[in-house]
Formats: sequence, structure tokens, C-alpha cells
Amino acid sequence: MYSEELEKLFARRGIAPGDRIRVTVKGRTLEGILMPRPEFGDSGAMVLKLPNGYNIGMRIGSRAKVEKQGGKKTTFEFPKAKLGRKEGLPEVSIIATGGTIGAKVDYETGGVHWLLEPGELLYAVPELKDIANYGVINLMSIGSEDMGYKDWQEIAKAAAKELSRSRGVVITTGTDTMHYISAALSFMLQGINGPVVITGSQRSSDRGSSDAFMNLACSARIAASANVAEVGVCMHATSSDTYCSFMRGTRVRKMHTTRRDAFRPINSPPIANVTREGEITYTDEGRVRIEDGGRELRVLKGYEPKVALLKFYPNSDPEILDYYISKKYKGAIIEGTGMGHIAVSPHDSRYSWLGHIKRAVDSGMVVGITSQTINGRVNPNVYTNGRLIAGTGAIYCEDMLPEVALVKLGVLLGNHRRREAAHLLAKNMVGEISERSEVGQQL
Amino acid sequence: MLGAEDYRRLGFKCGLEVHQRLATRTKLFCGCDAQLPNDISVAEVERRQRAVAGELGSIDQSAAFETSKGRKFVYNAFAKTTCLVELDEEPPHEPNREALDIAMQIVASLRASAPDELEVMRKEVVDGSDTSGFQRTMLVGYDGSIEVAGRQVGIPTIFLEEESAGIEYNDSGVAVYNLDRLGVPLMEIDTNPDLRTPEEAKAAAAALGLMLRLTGKVQRGIGSIRQDVNVSIREGARVEIKGFQDLDTMDTVIANEVERQLHLVEIRNELLKRKAKVHAARTDVTSVFGETKARIVAKSISGDGTVMAAKLEGFAGMLGTEVNTGRRLGSEISDYAKLAGLGGIIHSDEDLPGYGFSEKEIGALRNLLDIGARDAFILVAGGRDACIRALDAACARAMLALEGVPKETRGVDQKTLVTTFLRPLPGGERMYPETDVRPVVMDAGMLESAKGRAVDAESVSRRLKSTIGNRQLEEQMLWSQHLGRFLEIVEKTGADGGVVAATLLEKMTQLRRSGVNVGAIGDDAMLRVFSEYGKGNITKAAIEEILKREPKDGADVERIIKSEKLERLRGRELELAIKEAGAEGGREERLRRIMSKHRLNVDGDELGAALK
Repeated sequence: MYSEELEKLFARRGIAPGDRIRVTVKGRTLEGILMPRPEFGDSGAMVLKLPNGYNIGMRIGSRAKVEKQGGKKTTFEFPKAKLGRKEGLPEVSIIATGGTIGAKVDYETGGVHWLLEPGELLYAVPELKDIANYGVINLMSIGSEDMGYKDWQEIAKAAAKELSRSRGVVITTGTDTMHYISAALSFMLQGINGPVVITGSQRSSDRGSSDAFMNLACSARIAASANVAEVGVCMHATSSDTYCSFMRGTRVRKMHTTRRDAFRPINSPPIANVTREGEITYTDEGRVRIEDGGRELRVLKGYEPKVALLKFYPNSDPEILDYYISKKYKGAIIEGTGMGHIAVSPHDSRYSWLGHIKRAVDSGMVVGITSQTINGRVNPNVYTNGRLIAGTGAIYCEDMLPEVALVKLGVLLGNHRRREAAHLLAKNMVGEISERSEVGQQL
Repeated sequence: MLGAEDYRRLGFKCGLEVHQRLATRTKLFCGCDAQLPNDISVAEVERRQRAVAGELGSIDQSAAFETSKGRKFVYNAFAKTTCLVELDEEPPHEPNREALDIAMQIVASLRASAPDELEVMRKEVVDGSDTSGFQRTMLVGYDGSIEVAGRQVGIPTIFLEEESAGIEYNDSGVAVYNLDRLGVPLMEIDTNPDLRTPEEAKAAAAALGLMLRLTGKVQRGIGSIRQDVNVSIREGARVEIKGFQDLDTMDTVIANEVERQLHLVEIRNELLKRKAKVHAARTDVTSVFGETKARIVAKSISGDGTVMAAKLEGFAGMLGTEVNTGRRLGSEISDYAKLAGLGGIIHSDEDLPGYGFSEKEIGALRNLLDIGARDAFILVAGGRDACIRALDAACARAMLALEGVPKETRGVDQKTLVTTFLRPLPGGERMYPETDVRPVVMDAGMLESAKGRAVDAESVSRRLKSTIGNRQLEEQMLWSQHLGRFLEIVEKTGADGGVVAATLLEKMTQLRRSGVNVGAIGDDAMLRVFSEYGKGNITKAAIEEILKREPKDGADVERIIKSEKLERLRGRELELAIKEAGAEGGREERLRRIMSKHRLNVDGDELGAALK
């Protein structure tokens, strides 16, 4: 928004963003298109798009000489490709939920516009046409940091519906909480018989260098022709546009704020790699598709939102647990240090978590212990510290990622009794825990 | 040679875009080193880019053209000069304040206005020279001017932008770029398109170059300044010429481009008169050449290749018509086919038997394509897909011959100084806001304080003329890194500009060559030497004697003058020296005798006068 003064001036002259105007500033006359005011900067500076395409900001007073010029108002329209169908190609559903992958600048409002229309998508990524025929569902348009369990449930429902008629499903989301979404879908979608591929982009698709194009094409390739029946994330494997990795939904984490290859498989190899040209190489065993299967597909409907993810750190106040007990939380996952250690005998006994964890467990809360090292397995038996924590009834979660443990606990408590949920927390269900820590894993 | 009046009559339009790298410590949008040392390559990434819809929705023509080439880009990343920002793996940081300051100095020097708020834009580039697919750029000044040979040339726009990546290797499938250069602050200064002659264009480029150098804040050396020239004539079209290696030949290249446009207009007029037409239909003529002796075709079809041809109705003789010395319309068409990935085309105005084609083959081809006496044909050979692309591109270019001059970006052939096709001219629709960088709100004082640092190239030229009095030295000083030092010395010491210039430009080089560490000579020492000379305390010859001894400061200079007895002999001392030398021999002989003894202490002219 422009400053009140400018908004009034524009209103008086009947001028709105998109109009062609002529303005005299400091004795020099400029012509151009009035642009919407960017979020930041000086709201008293009018942003003008000059005929050479450049925008400049000019401070003008309430009595500035501004006139509206004739000519058509500039509107933005994204080109679309025709949505043709090709005989013999498999059916793939694309479920759009928002995020950078669907974002482009809206020059009318200055905000972000979602690339939702199937035609727009095919225009931007023409190679999709040779991979599959598509049904595109615009489920929602929100950033992933704004998503909660209700959105996960909605996505799970839509994915199950699409899976019943498609070979595979591609879900586009924001990347920030993509690994929570993938974990949620992994647990919620029971007995799936095809790939559910979650993808997104780290660079918006309004730039020629966006990772969205290859991510989408590789995801469509996995959905259309990979012989897997799992939920996973398909994103750039390296900084190069050469291949993507399809990583198990419970074994993947965003490990970098901005890089294309931010999503890394943790404690497990990716399920498959897929090249830009569409060649798929399987790198891990997993559930495969059963022809004519899929009838047992169901969605776990419940979710317990009163589960917390806490981080232990030096000088952290264990009373935080008492807060959650008082708020009637049903579960908590604690990110300990190293193999799952938490202070039990500090010099200042106020910083010992032991009693607080015991109180939590005794109050009926399911407490799971994971590690903030992200990589590796927790183990309570090596040091006294761990043995004492385990003695409270807190559950050590093997090599499960903290975020995955959180989501799993929410799903378990939403669909099972407490005892059963506690029993299942550290048992492998969909590949989130493995018995062996393989040698070949890199950090 | 055309004169000013001829250019006016032809509707000659010419404007410059001068690009200059700034000498800042870091790059424009990140903390990487901007001074391009010989950095170590640490990583290599491979990327693809595609044309995306711009702000107004449509895909830019030149962007689509690059995408259609389906190329792979490889980027070399370096230890100190690249980070994740250059790799397009991290958003840009805040714009570099040092660069903004220099930009304002340049804006002030060109007497231009600055916006109150700078809006960073993305200018789409899909040739791969930018990892992001766009160049970040902002308009920092408008409505300025510069004096060129006594006339004010308008500077409508001044930009501060990111330098592109330097190309290392390029073929039809892959382009390799080095990222060390990407993101170095770069100024672009545009002139109005009203330069009246090629010579004036050259003078304007020189004036802008001088102004930039005088700021003392710009990079020097090969590639640090580049001039693009936009040229057209009334019946022609705008052509952007890139890649001038030196200013000396700029006027010749422009004149040759005017010649090319004139010939293309003549060719168009003739084609229109003949009602010429391009048949875009491709005909597969491989069967004609089953047993051909023409090696160029035989080689192509020996594998899995094809030969394809198209008819150009009414084009007979025109393909062979020259547009520049040694360049014909056929060469222009061939350039387009080459860009599509083939070696070029063969056409009917060429010496076909000379290629090894038999009369029978030529006859069969003419039959197959229905070529009459007034028609021409073009032929391509190679892989089927490449043939289709190349022939389509060639036909598209042939069609443009009916309109005259195509709008293009062209390079310079350094040998022949004619322009050569690079790509179609980019359209205007490839600009959109850089949403990752906040607008830069200019505080009121920024441009005002820059005005105090404004440089005026024209007044400096005049100053050199009045103080040096030797055209060659003036010219040399104008382009020299010692210019700032020279002006300071002349100003502060009152020493003769000619002597100062000759010392800085010639003597210092000689001394360095002879092993003197001239870098050790302090600024203060230099000022003192010329101050002593200006006061008449030492002779011109003594200057070198002092500098040889690498004085660090003024005190050093004083000490050297004393210990080496370099004081100038004058008045009674001079008379004494003349007496001592005796009266034997003629005047010349006496002069030589005195000089051989007192070379460093006696001014030759003064002695000459005293001996009269």
C-alpha cells in the first residue's frame, strides 16, 4: 500500500496501479505504468515502470503533477498450454497445495500468485506431456509453514481418492515443513499400492533456473512408472540439474535453508534416483506395487494434536514439561543430545529433567527420546544418564528422526489407546525405523 | 567513405551502451571478492534453464530462442570469488553500499538525476551467463549528459547491475561458464541514439571511458569496460553490436554495419520488385545424392544423414550478392542455419560443380524443387532433426530478406571488422521485480555528497592540454593510471607539466626496467622532487638521479640532494664553473666540457644563455 497521502492523490486523479501515467518530479517529466507498492521501502515513493521495463521509486508530494494517460491498462496473464491427452500414457494425479513451486509474482497486486492451472503447469514444464496424462487438483494454496494436521488429513484423503484411479500421485507443497507432511502421509495412508510423491521447489518457478521443472518432471516419472508403493519426497539430489532422489517419507529432512539439494535422506538410502531424462535406479528395498492390488487402502482418520517436540539444551528449564502436563498434552518427543542424553544430575538440581520426565510419564503422557544429532541411533544403555531416563518409562526411538517421531506419535495417539501407542512408537511401521545402521550412509 | 552529410541523409541512428566494472571490495549482492584474483576452482555444477513467462505474460523472443537450443550449462565455482549466491543456491544479500556510492559519483559526474528509491529488477537472460536465469539490475540515474567534442550528448539512463559469468567454452550442446566474474558490480551508461557519425560514436565512447577512469573507482584491464553500439539507418533496423575489443576500430565497424544495412535494403527492393517468395516447405532430396562426389554432402549421408532443400522463388543471383566485402546474403542465411547446429548451407548462387556436384545432380535437384531460371534454392545436410531445424531457421532468415534488415545482436569479426550474427535482438518484455531484495531508499544526502566527487572529463582534457603541451604525452596521460598523481603534482608544485608527464610516463618505466624499485618511492617524495624542481633548486637531469635512489619521503629527497651534491648551479656558481672550464675552443666545445663535468647541476639552456 502507498502512504495515505499518495492513496488519496491517486484516488483524486482516478489512478490505480496498472494505469499509464505521466508525472512531473523535480522539474523532469516521466511517463510509465504505476506499479503496486512493494511491501518494503518508502511508502511515500511512487513506483513507476518506465518504458524500458525498469521500475524506479519517486517521492512525490500530495500536490504533485500526476495525470492518467490513455491506453489500455496492463494486465498479467500467464500463457497456458493445451491440455491434450496422449494414448497409452499412464494416469497421474497432481495435487497442488501451495508453496514456492506454485508461486510466481503477481504484478497486479505485487503479491505471490499460485501456478495452479494445469495449462500453466504444462506450459512451464512441457516435458510432463510425454510422461503421463494428468488430472490436476487444486486442493489448497498455503505455505507449508502454515499447514497443520487438518491440512495433512485433507491431503491424505485427496491422495487416497486419487490413488484409487491413478497410477501414482504427485503432491506439490512448500518445502519448509515438507518432511512433516511426508511423514504424516506415510503414517496416515495405510496399505497404499502406488507411489505418492511429494515435491516442491527451492527457487520459484518464475525464474528460468528454477528447480521446480526438473523436480516436477522427475516426480511425475516416479508417479507414472516407478515400481514402488510408498510415500516419498522427490527433490534435487545435488546442486546440478542432473537427477532427483526419491526419498522415503519418514527418512527425509530439509537440511539446508536454500540449496536445491536441501532434502537429504537420513539414516537410510533414497528409495530410488531418477535422472532428468527419466531413468530410474532403485537404491533401496521397499514396498512394491501389486498389480490389481490397492483395495486395502485406507486413511487413518484420527490425529492427536496435543503432542509436543522439545529440545534439551544446556541450561534448558525442565519445567517446560510441567507446562505441557498442565495443558493435558498426551505425548512429547524430546530431542536429547548424543545418543539421547538429557541432564539428570547437574550442579544445580533445578536443571535436572529426570523428575519432570517421570512426572510426565506417570501422568499418562507418552514420552519419546530422539537425538538432535539427526543422524544415528539413540541408545539409553551406554551411560548412566540414559539408563536413568529410560527408567522413567520414556521410550528411546531408535534411529527415527525427531520430527517423524512427533508426527507418528500424533497419528498413534489419534487412532490407538495410550498403551498401544506407547508400544508402537519405537516399532517400525512404514520404514521409519531400521534394525541395522548401514555402513554406506554419508552424513 | 561517407561523410556527416551522407549519414544524416541515410537517417543514421547510433547510440552507445557502455559497461564498466567497478573496483569494489566485494560483489554487488554478496560478500565474495570482486577483484577476480586467480582463484582456485572448487566445484562444478550442471544446470538447465528455460524461458519463463515475463512480467507481461509472454516469453521473450530471444529467451525462447536460447531455450530452443536445449543447451546444458556447466558452472565452475571458485574458492574466494563464489558462494551459494552465485550458484543460485542462496538469495541475494543487501546491495553493496560501496558500489552504490560509486554509482552515485558517476550519476553526479554525468549531471543526471537519481530516483528516490532504487528498485532492483530481474532482466531475463537465458544464454546461461547468469545462473539464476536473470541479471539483477537497477536504474540509478536518468536524464544526464556528457560533453563530446564540444557538444552535449544526452545520457537518458544509468544502471548498476551484476556482471555476467565469463564464458569458458561453448558449442551447440553445452556452454561452460566461470562464476568468479558473476555479480561484480557493473555500471551501464546509455547515450541517446543521436550520435551523428561513426566518429562521433567513437569520441563519445572515449569520453565516457575517460570519465569512468577519472573516478578512480573502476576496474582496469581487458574486459573491464565494454561498449555495445546500437546502429540503424532509416530503411534498416536496429542492430546491437557487441564485442568491440578496442575503440580504435569502432568507427570502421559501424561504417561497415551501415554498408551492410544499405546492401540489405537494396536486396530487399530488388526482391520486392521480383515478387520473390520463400517456400517454407522442406523437401527431402537425399535420393538425388546417392552417388554424389560432393564430399560435403557424401560425408553427411554416409551415416544416417539426410539432405533437405527449400525453394526461394525469385531469389536467383541474390544469395550471392555482397553485403560486406566477402560476405553475401547467402552467408547471412547460413549464420542462422549454423546456430541451429549445422555447419551451414549450400545455395544455388555458389560454385556447385566446385563442391563436386555433377550436372546431373543439379538438374535433378532443380527438377525436384521446380526451380526456374529466376529462382534459387538452399540445401542442408546432416542428421534429420538438425536439418529440419537448420532449414527452418535458414528459411526464416530468407523471409526476413523481404523485409530488409532483421533486428539482431551482432558481434565483431576482429579481422575484417564487419559484424556477424549472434542472435535475434531481445524484445522489451523481460523485466520483472527482484522480490528477494528490498528497494533501496536513497537518503537525500547521497547524491548531493556525490556531487562533490563528480569528475569532469572535458575539463581534465583541457587541463592536460594547457599544462603538458605535447599531444602524444597528453593522450598517454589521459589513459594512464598516473593521471590522478599527475594532476596533484602539477597543482601543488607548479612544476612544468611536460616534465612531470615525461617523468611519470617514461622515466619511471625506464627506471623500473633498469631494476629500480619504483614502487618504494613515496608520494611525498615525489611531490618534494617536483617541488624542488619547480623552485629551480635542482635540474631536470637531477630528478632521475634522485628517483634512482628510491626516496621514501621528503626528508630522503633533501638528504639525497645534499649527499649527491645535486643542487643546481646558478648565478655566481655557474659563472665560476664556466671560468673553471677555461676559454679554450669554440662555444660548442666549451659547452660540452662544462656539461660533462656538471651534467646534473647545470641547466643546459641556462648555460647556453650564459655562454653567449
